[in-house]
Amino acid sequence: MLRTIIVDDEDLARSVVREHLAAHRDIQVVAECSNGFEAVKAVAELSPDILFLDVQMPKLDGFEVIELMDPKPAVVFVTAYDSYALKAFEVHAVDYLLKPFSGERFTEALEHARARIAAPLPAGLTALMEDHRVHEAPLQRILVKNGASVVVIPSESIDYIEAEDDYVAVHSGGKRHLKQERLSELAQLLDPARFIRIHRSFILNIDRLARLETYAKDSRVAILKDGTRLPVSRSGHDRLREIL
Amino acid sequence: MVSLPPNPYITDMHPILKDRRSLIVYLAAWLTLALMLTAMLALPGRVSWAAVLAFTLPLMFVYAFITLSAWYICKAFPLGVAPLARILVTNCLAAVFSSSLWVLAGFGWVAVLNTLQEGMIPPAWHIDSLPLLGSSGIVLFLLASAVSYLIAMFEASREAERNALQLRVLARESELKSLRAQIDPHFLFNSLNSISALTTVDPPAARAMTVKLAEFLRLSLRYGALDTISLTQEISLTTHFLAIEKIRHGNRLAITVEIDDAAADCRIAPLLLQPLVENAIRHGIDGLLGGGTIGINATRTGDQLHLCIENPVDAGALPKEGTGVGLDNVRRRIAGLYGTDGRITTLRDASRFTVRIDIPVRTPEEN
Repeated sequence: MLRTIIVDDEDLARSVVREHLAAHRDIQVVAECSNGFEAVKAVAELSPDILFLDVQMPKLDGFEVIELMDPKPAVVFVTAYDSYALKAFEVHAVDYLLKPFSGERFTEALEHARARIAAPLPAGLTALMEDHRVHEAPLQRILVKNGASVVVIPSESIDYIEAEDDYVAVHSGGKRHLKQERLSELAQLLDPARFIRIHRSFILNIDRLARLETYAKDSRVAILKDGTRLPVSRSGHDRLREIL
Repeated sequence: MVSLPPNPYITDMHPILKDRRSLIVYLAAWLTLALMLTAMLALPGRVSWAAVLAFTLPLMFVYAFITLSAWYICKAFPLGVAPLARILVTNCLAAVFSSSLWVLAGFGWVAVLNTLQEGMIPPAWHIDSLPLLGSSGIVLFLLASAVSYLIAMFEASREAERNALQLRVLARESELKSLRAQIDPHFLFNSLNSISALTTVDPPAARAMTVKLAEFLRLSLRYGALDTISLTQEISLTTHFLAIEKIRHGNRLAITVEIDDAAADCRIAPLLLQPLVENAIRHGIDGLLGGGTIGINATRTGDQLHLCIENPVDAGALPKEGTGVGLDNVRRRIAGLYGTDGRITTLRDASRFTVRIDIPVRTPEEN
């Protein structure tokens, strides 16, 4: 039995998918969601095999939903927009259905999903593809999953980000949010005009910087507007000087 | 079929021969020149004025047509294309040649005149006047050349101006067309998807939706082809559109429309509000978990029409792809149609987005 979740903000759009799925005996629809938050929650709680996912939805779009899922089910995008096809390929979607679609086309997508479940992508390949991910624009917000719920942190409200083993701690307005990601990866995604890697373990939002204090030749400390003190490495200081 | 390039010698009629008025002006100018030549030849007093006139007038008349050939030289060796030296040499050679031909014709005419009236033109006088005739012939031909080049330049600049104007008109037309084609194709795809869902779930509703979609498309095509429509017509188009969107969005979409009686008859450009209502759904309602209400409001104060579209927005939503394109197009259309008299302003606060349009009133009487 394959467990699926249908995510679309339109009732009718979900009902088309549901109807097509009803023809397949081995498919069970375990949930239907009308927005990104619900989808993330449902995927965490029900761990489906296949996700039929719209792109444009309230709160979180389809790509943000994928980012927050772990482990990731086989995803079939269902959308009226053809412009996301390349991006869908980059996040390893198994298929991309353009609304409206035929029953044959739907069955084909379902077969692709079955094939992916039977033979998942090799881990090496996914890692390679992730390294080559094209990022058109800097990240405008960071999404942090907290249990089944999602916290959205707009990038301008981030104070600084700290590396903690396999996680990063995003500090924002006195709160600390843990996210499973490498600091080096995050550093590349954020707006380089605002976020500076001041240290091996710290990324600073330069809007928050109050002043720099120098203790010795290579011992500097960044004092933030709220009084927080962060270490600044020599290369971090070079990067800061470049931008200031 | 291969179309041949226009042959300048055949298709380009001489500008002076094109209409009667310019030919009369041209011949009048030549008459003046003929009188001047007569005066120069007759002043020494060896031959009577009447005899000189009888000699010069027909000759000058003929020469007026011979020098028209300068135009074709001008077309064959256009200024700025052919090398200048070549233009000068060609025209000078042509001048000498035409003048020689003309002087020779003069001999024939003298003979004719002398047979008509014995001793009317003394041959000695004629021989003496040859240098003046020859040089006049050359000068007159060169003058005709100069005039031809001037006319050609004038025509070229007018042609360029006309082309530029035509380009501007074409650009404007195509822009208006593309601006009118504001209906988002994704709206169609999504609507078709809804119909596809309804065909099994609720067949009568599927049929109703196809009818609504057809009505909306028909109206937008009909109105889109007009220069102006009444506000009531535009609102009815918008209402059709929203009725379809309501099937897709269900309870998440509500609409309120308030139109002043005084505003209802005002003429506006077709599909002016349409992209704004589309935006209100795409960037507003679509991003809200519970949906919301789109408000459309039209009032009139004096000769000003005020249109207002407002929609709720999700405070944390990121600007979506394509933001501002529809709005920019509406802004450009208003600028194109009303100049500085039209204004469009947008206001975004934490939870609402408002577009306000102020344009001069155009009622049916003024159109």
